[in-house]
Amino acid sequence: MRDPILRRIHRALEHRPRLELPPPLTLPSPSPEEALRLFQERLGSNGGETLYLPDLDAARAWLAQLAQGYSGVALGHQLPEALRPDLPQLPPEEAPLGVSWALGAVAETGTVILSSADGRRAQLLPPTHVVFVPQERLYGTLLEALTALRDALPAALGLHSGPSKSADIGQIMVRGVHGPGRLIAAVVAAPPG
Amino acid sequence: MQLKANQYPRESARVLREEPQVRDSVTAATLNFDAKRRQMYGEIEAETWRGWAEAVKNHVLTHLDTYLPQAEAALQSNGVQVHWAENAEAAQRIVAEIARANGVKKVVKAKTMVSEELGINPLLESLGLEVLETDLGEYIIQLLGQPPSHIVGPAIHLNLEQIRELFHRKFGTPLEAPPEDLAGVARKLLREGFLQAEMGISGGNFLVAETGTLALIENEGNIRLSTSAPRIHVALVGIEKLLPRFSDLSVFLSLTARAATGQRLGTFVSLIQGPRRPHEPDGPEAVHVVLVDNGRSSVLADTEAWETLRCVRCAACLNACPVYRQTGGHAYGYVYSGPIGAILAPGLVGLENTKPLPYASSLCGACFQACPVRIPIPKLLLTWRNRAVEQGLQPKAEGAAIRAYAAAMTRPWAYTLGSKALRMLPKEALDNTVLPVVKAWTEGRAGLKPSPKSFRELWKEGI
Amino acid sequence: MRVALFVTCLTDQFFAEAGVAAVRLLRSLGCEVEFPEGQTCCGQPAYNAGYWNEARQMATHTLEVFNEAEYVVLPSGSCTTMVRAFYPELYRDTPQRFTQAEALSHKTFELAEFIVKVLGVTQLGEGLRGQHIAYHHGCHALRELGIKNEPLTLLKNAGAEVVNWEAAQECCGFGGLFSVKLPEVALSMADRKLQTLPKVDYLTSADGGCMLHLAGRIENRKLKLPVKPLASVLWEAHAHQAEG
Repeated sequence: MRDPILRRIHRALEHRPRLELPPPLTLPSPSPEEALRLFQERLGSNGGETLYLPDLDAARAWLAQLAQGYSGVALGHQLPEALRPDLPQLPPEEAPLGVSWALGAVAETGTVILSSADGRRAQLLPPTHVVFVPQERLYGTLLEALTALRDALPAALGLHSGPSKSADIGQIMVRGVHGPGRLIAAVVAAPPG
Repeated sequence: MQLKANQYPRESARVLREEPQVRDSVTAATLNFDAKRRQMYGEIEAETWRGWAEAVKNHVLTHLDTYLPQAEAALQSNGVQVHWAENAEAAQRIVAEIARANGVKKVVKAKTMVSEELGINPLLESLGLEVLETDLGEYIIQLLGQPPSHIVGPAIHLNLEQIRELFHRKFGTPLEAPPEDLAGVARKLLREGFLQAEMGISGGNFLVAETGTLALIENEGNIRLSTSAPRIHVALVGIEKLLPRFSDLSVFLSLTARAATGQRLGTFVSLIQGPRRPHEPDGPEAVHVVLVDNGRSSVLADTEAWETLRCVRCAACLNACPVYRQTGGHAYGYVYSGPIGAILAPGLVGLENTKPLPYASSLCGACFQACPVRIPIPKLLLTWRNRAVEQGLQPKAEGAAIRAYAAAMTRPWAYTLGSKALRMLPKEALDNTVLPVVKAWTEGRAGLKPSPKSFRELWKEGI
Repeated sequence: MRVALFVTCLTDQFFAEAGVAAVRLLRSLGCEVEFPEGQTCCGQPAYNAGYWNEARQMATHTLEVFNEAEYVVLPSGSCTTMVRAFYPELYRDTPQRFTQAEALSHKTFELAEFIVKVLGVTQLGEGLRGQHIAYHHGCHALRELGIKNEPLTLLKNAGAEVVNWEAAQECCGFGGLFSVKLPEVALSMADRKLQTLPKVDYLTSADGGCMLHLAGRIENRKLKLPVKPLASVLWEAHAHQAEG
């Protein structure tokens, strides 16, 4: 099958002009402060929740409070020890809460970037998904993020820009259709370890 | 789906007559999509982005003979099994064989138009497999046994009441159930599907030649789940979906989302490099990519229509199209409907089988302005119309009438004579008549009323 | 300035008074108006239906008729588009005709566009004071030629209130042969235009085909809404000042 298809394509292109590839389209990059603001604004406008944790103590205090609302958690495999909520661990399909560790985030689009190395089910199955984002990997633009990640790609990246939603029923927006109905992105200033 | 494009004139009229709620639902949904697209185009240098995206796609298409082998090698080095399908039958054979070899009993589908094009669901069902569409809209139309009526929103032709009624009938939910509850029912059923299915089938929005990355865009999370939870992931990807560089995704992902749904990025984007790696906690054991031709290489060989292959299937042209809005997609009788369907169909399945579609447009040009990759849709609609004429596919009477009209219009004396005759016709002749073209005009419109004197008579008399 | 009026076949036959208004308006603005009598139809219906050979015959006829003109002005957006944008396309394989078509393309203008862009006039008078008008943008003028603000400027500056109409830029469903090949769809499109129309004194447009289609639908549905060609309205805007 392969060769006949390629032969046909080659024949189709034989006497045709071969058009040039333009260089990547770059966008102006926001400053780190601007990037944080933009990230929060844009993920927020997509229905996600964001917060900024200036240090580990703040992160611990927030986690302790978060844990009170849940009976168990599914954890990302790359989540630093210090950021694990004090909750019983459950398989993702049973956990009411998933907590992941992001490879990075994008201000331009309000996106967290998740790795399959962290475990995909915990990112997708629990109804609430908390993602920790190390601030030094908050990229201004999607192009910057993809460029930085290109040389060490895991089996799959998930770019999440808000809670799961659908307007397929009568054009009325519904959240939490298949993936998490709540997405909380916590930017941590000084990641532990 | 079964090809019924030649019935478009009758079907479009029937939908308007018998299913008036379709026009209301489709109009509301597409106007909403279109307004959001405009807003999101307004936020970027849209002309720069569109021009850039057009140039990248043109480059890829005119280098497809080098990019396809490059993509194949990158996929294979990522551990992906690559298959080539010349046509629908070949694609069906490949999918059936993967299912058989892996003992698959249950399949979850992530919304994919190319699967509709290839007839994958009927095939799998004929093999006795359970097939679940997991996009909420696709699930709804699967329950109804209908094909998608829109490339992005497959169920936009249905209103809330119809879906409530369907769920009431199928699952016993109350007739006044809110959309959240209906979605909840579907979520629960489909969640079991994700966890039980051995195989997930997806399409592919983009395939990066440089890294072998398969990119998928969605809002619900069902594509991420279909490509993560089952043991086997099969992706059906048109050969025109290639991008050269990983970094090209930055513009294409965002531009497609802006054009399709008025978002900066789809809520979930999957960038897949292959099966689960040794230290990863989960993910499919095997990933198969089926590169699908099914007519695309002949479109590429067409020195005019080849530009159609830039299409990213965002449906912005459907949303912008006032003709599509009146009937939704089913009337077109082809898997891809609206303006892009009208130029894709003759290229992929032959003009003689899809002849009315290039005429299913008033040539208003809204589609071109919406298209993120600047496909000259109105121009290509005209090209296909011209081919229909040249190939003798149009009614003989129409050709004769046009030739007579052209003969009159190139002879001023004949034009003047016609102008006089128009004023001597009995009034009924222009109100209702046996002349089919006048009849078509006057059904629903008042008769034509020529000015008492033509302009040229008035000019002669002196202005 | 010499202006050759290409009145277009629909205006000639169905909106003759708009042709007269265009002549008076152009004269009043200082143009010397000619009417080359050999003119007929621009060929657009044939072109849009896919009959390019026939369209080319009519285009060639039109090229000859307007060969000597300094400017060609049409009270029709879509016919202007045919001459300006599509004629050159028809002659891609015949360089000599292509050059001629390009030359005609460059000197061809829609009436309102000509007044604003070539004559530099944006204030015709105040003859429309107090009038509430709906302006239907013909698709070709709007999207192929980018003519959008010129007619609106002239109407507004003459005192009219051009109402906000959500479907103002949507196609009305005329589309030449489209309106008889797919009449149900075409009428449904007209209905969408009319259903969204706010209360106005009248509807105006620079496209005869759209006006025939919409006026026919309005009458059929027994709606009380006059439809007036843009040329007539612009002359009305200007007339009392010209007379005074």
